[in-house]
Amino acid sequence: MTRFIIPLIAVVLFFLEPVFSLFSPIELGDVRYTLVPRFVIVYLVFIASYYDLRKAVLYGLSFGLLYDMYHIDIIGIYTFLYPLICFLAFVIIRQVHRSTGTVMLLSLFMVVLLEMMSYLFASLIALTSINLEVFMTARLVPTVIANLIFIILFGWLFKNLIYKRVVEKQAGM
Amino acid sequence: MPRFFSNKRLILLLVGVIVLVALIAFSLKDRQSANLPEKMVKDVVGFGQSLISKPAHSITGFFDDIDGILNTYEENKTLKARLTEYASTEVELADIKEENERLRKIIDKKDDLRAYDPVQATVISRNPDQWEEKIIVDKGAKQGIKRNMAVLTANGLVGKVVLVTPFKSTVELLSTENQNFRVSAMIPGKKDIFGLMEGYDPERGELIMKRIDSSFEVKVGQKVMSSGLGGIFPKGLLIGEVTEVSTDDYGLTKLAYVRPAAEFSMLDHVMIAKRQSATAKGTDDPGTSATEGEDGS
Repeated sequence: MTRFIIPLIAVVLFFLEPVFSLFSPIELGDVRYTLVPRFVIVYLVFIASYYDLRKAVLYGLSFGLLYDMYHIDIIGIYTFLYPLICFLAFVIIRQVHRSTGTVMLLSLFMVVLLEMMSYLFASLIALTSINLEVFMTARLVPTVIANLIFIILFGWLFKNLIYKRVVEKQAGM
Repeated sequence: MPRFFSNKRLILLLVGVIVLVALIAFSLKDRQSANLPEKMVKDVVGFGQSLISKPAHSITGFFDDIDGILNTYEENKTLKARLTEYASTEVELADIKEENERLRKIIDKKDDLRAYDPVQATVISRNPDQWEEKIIVDKGAKQGIKRNMAVLTANGLVGKVVLVTPFKSTVELLSTENQNFRVSAMIPGKKDIFGLMEGYDPERGELIMKRIDSSFEVKVGQKVMSSGLGGIFPKGLLIGEVTEVSTDDYGLTKLAYVRPAAEFSMLDHVMIAKRQSATAKGTDDPGTSATEGEDGS
C-alpha cells in the first residue's frame, strides 16, 4: 500500500506547487514579496535521507524534466538541479546524526541552495535583472519562511510514511 | 572526496553537464511553437493540474465569498451612491454606440479594431519559480486560441498568449522583464499619443511605456490602452494609468511609467480576446519586433 503512496505524494506536491504560487507575490507595505513553493524538493530530500538515494535521484530527474517542460519552457535547469540537490543531501546526511530535526533543517538548507542556484541561472540567461540584495530580502527570506511552515507541518508525516515503507521493504515486500 | 567522484561518476557528471548545456541552448532559441513531446507533456500534465486546481479555486472562491458577505454593507452604501451616476452613463453609452453604428453604416466600414470575441478561461497554474511571469490556462488551439492573443480580466489587460498546445495555452503576463514582450499602446485624448509598452520595473511595480514622440504632452493620470495597431490585439483594452513621465536614456523620446489596472496575483478567471477583424503581424508579435534591436534601456 505504502509502495504507491510514496510516488503519489510526490505527484500531488508537484501539482500543488503552482496552485500555491498563485498567491504570490504578496504586497506588504510598498514591497512585493515573492513566495516560491518548493514542496517537491523538500520531499525528495526526505526520501534521499531516509529511504534511497537512487529513488530520490530518479524522482528528481523525472519531476525536474516535467517541471522544465511544463512551467519553464527551458529544458535542463531543474532536470539538473533536482538530482544534484538529492545527491548533496545524501552526502551531507551521511556526515551528521540523522534525526527528524536535522533532516528538516537540511531540507530547508537545500531549499535555500536551490533558490540560490535558480537565481544564478536566471540572471545568467537574463530572465531577471534584480540584484542580489533585492533577491535576498524580497524573495529568499519569504520563500524560506513559507517553506519552513510547510516543513514543520508535513515533515513528521513524510518521515513516518517513508519509515513505514522502509520497514515494509525490510520485511521482504 | 575521492569516494564520491570515482571515474565512472565523473564521466557521468561531465556527460550530464554537456547534455544540460545542449538542452538549454536548444530551448533558449526563440521558438515559435512547442514541439510534439512538449505539447503532449503540457496537455497531459495540464489535465492533472486542472484536476487539482479547480477544487483549489472553489475553496479560495468560498473564502472570497465569505469575505464578500462581510463587506456587503459597506459596499452596498458606495454602490448605491454610484448607481444613479451609472444609469445616466449607460444611457449615454447606448446612445453613442447607436450613433457609432449608424455612422459606420454611412461610411460602409465593417472592420472594427475594437470588436472581439471573448473566450473565458480558467487559470490552472502559475510558473512556481517566478522568474518568468507565466500562467497556464485551460483553453488551447482546439478552442481557437492563437499565439499572441490578448488576455484580460475585468480590470484590464494582463498579458498575451505565448505558447499554444491543443488543450492548454501559456500566457506571459505584462509584468514580465522580457525585452521582447511588446504591446502597442496609446493614450487617448484630443490627439492620440502612441507608444509601446515594453519592460517592467519590478521595484516600482509599474509598467514602462516607451517610444512616445517627444512633441506630445503626456500628463500624469491619463489612461493607457491598447491601440490595436500591433496587429493582433483589439483596440481599447485598458492597460493602466500614467504615474510619471520622463525621457529615455538618449533623450530622443519620452517614456512613461504606467500603474497597471489589472492585478497580477491571485488570477483565477481570465478572458482571451479573439479579434474579429483581420489580424496582421506587427509589434505585438516578438517574431517581427526582434529585428528592431534593443533600444538600450
